[in-house]
Amino acid sequence: MAEDLVLDTAIRDWVLIPLSVVMVLIGILRYFVSKLMRSSQVPDPKIVKEGQVIVRARNLRAAANFIPPKSFLSRRVYFSNEENGLLFVPKGQTQNAQAQMFSDPNMAMDMMKKNLSMIIPQTLTFAWVNFFFSGFVAAKIPFPLTQRFRSMLQNGIDLSTVDVSYVSSRSWYFLNLFGLRGLFSLILGEENATDDTQRMMQMSGFGFDPSKSLGAEKDGLDIVQHEWALPKFEHRAEAVLKKLIR
Amino acid sequence: MVSKTQETQLNRLENQVDNGGGGAWEYLCLVRMLKVRRSEKVLKYGLSILNDPKKRSALGPEEWTLYEQVAIAAMDCQCLDVAKDCIKVLQKKFPESKRVGRLNGMLLEAKGSWAEAEKAYSSLLEDNPLDQVIHKRRVSMSKAQGNISGAIELLNKYLEIFMADHEAWRELAEIYASLQMYKQAAFCYEELILSQPTVPLYHLAYADVLYTLGGLENLQTAKKYYASTIDLTGGKNTRALFGICLCTSAIAQVSKGRNKEDKESPELHSLAATALEKDYKQRASDKLGLLTSALRSLKT
Repeated sequence: MAEDLVLDTAIRDWVLIPLSVVMVLIGILRYFVSKLMRSSQVPDPKIVKEGQVIVRARNLRAAANFIPPKSFLSRRVYFSNEENGLLFVPKGQTQNAQAQMFSDPNMAMDMMKKNLSMIIPQTLTFAWVNFFFSGFVAAKIPFPLTQRFRSMLQNGIDLSTVDVSYVSSRSWYFLNLFGLRGLFSLILGEENATDDTQRMMQMSGFGFDPSKSLGAEKDGLDIVQHEWALPKFEHRAEAVLKKLIR
Repeated sequence: MVSKTQETQLNRLENQVDNGGGGAWEYLCLVRMLKVRRSEKVLKYGLSILNDPKKRSALGPEEWTLYEQVAIAAMDCQCLDVAKDCIKVLQKKFPESKRVGRLNGMLLEAKGSWAEAEKAYSSLLEDNPLDQVIHKRRVSMSKAQGNISGAIELLNKYLEIFMADHEAWRELAEIYASLQMYKQAAFCYEELILSQPTVPLYHLAYADVLYTLGGLENLQTAKKYYASTIDLTGGKNTRALFGICLCTSAIAQVSKGRNKEDKESPELHSLAATALEKDYKQRASDKLGLLTSALRSLKT
């Protein structure tokens, strides 16, 4: 039950290390392939403009207290005006953005290409691991785990009495998958195509970005109360000068 | 804006290279990164690296960036044949490149053939309508030709799309101020303050514009912004100190009968005057007499 299994050092030499090496090499290969396949994307003027509007609105919110109240109010009206304000997006358009993004052939192709370059190597490597490295205990995790992890970590091992800390090589594969990201950013520099987890997070939030953030900025701007900070500065300037003169 | 450490590093490298020590390549890289305008030195040291085949091959792929940098510096110093040679080399290496196309347009600009340069830029813009650098080059071309209103129009159109570009706002503010369109200049400076509230330069410029506009409210606001400049620079900015004195006296003149002065004003004025006197005593003691008489005339 709680005995220690002695794992053959040959496992370490022939399973763990080759698996890591292979994953690193595949990652590097994928990086170069994605660099070759990447088409230069012409940015859409509307999207660029919206991005800039958002930055400007955000600046307005952040530094609102530094400009006189009248200018702040006039700018707020300029942004959130009902008819032609910059941040105002009529209801019908919000849905359009997402649908348009998926029907736009260029963008769909781009997303597909990126997905492919991510999915195919992962699938192949996973299949290879399963084929060659299954059916034995590969490593022992140093901390104890509950029984619920058994199905996830111990796929090839059909003994239910083995401690859950003894895992199969599939879990080593997953560990490498998420852990080598740091190594890649060291070797390949910042922009590498192996940021799978980041990409997955980005994909889920893609379609909505422009119109939703505009609406969010508009709400934020409406909330801001302008409190002019400048009068305080006169006092502070006095204090500074007093100290200087002394 | 260049930070202080970067500035000292730049000066140190410049001294080192001027006096014959090595380090020309690091100097050039730093200049390129900080986007400082030191065209003569860049030209001299860049050419010395490029003309020496050993050093050139030691650069590897950075060689082409150096060619571009030297070409731009040569155009700035009006050595157009040097620039043409560099661009020819680049064009051989990168025949269909947009960057080289841009350099060609800049060469035409430097030569003074405005129409051809305009044609080159418009064709580049057709391919890529969102190239910021080309838009800015068109603006500077109109400005160089003396067509300031055209420059303003182009710059406004540029800012409609790229509203977060504070360099463009700054350029627009200076153009408006030079044309005495102070209300518009004030708007631009407000944008600058919004995007970078801790840069005292913008507060100072805004206060100057407000003071020039005149009117009681503007003068009071200007005084507040001079005060904020003093706060942000720790009292060292002479212009802001003068600004305070001038504003106070102008406000006193405008609101002669109405006693609407706010509570802090007399102290600030006298403090600023004292700080000015102290500063002048330290740095320009021969002008101290002028200063005291000027301040006295302001007080009356």
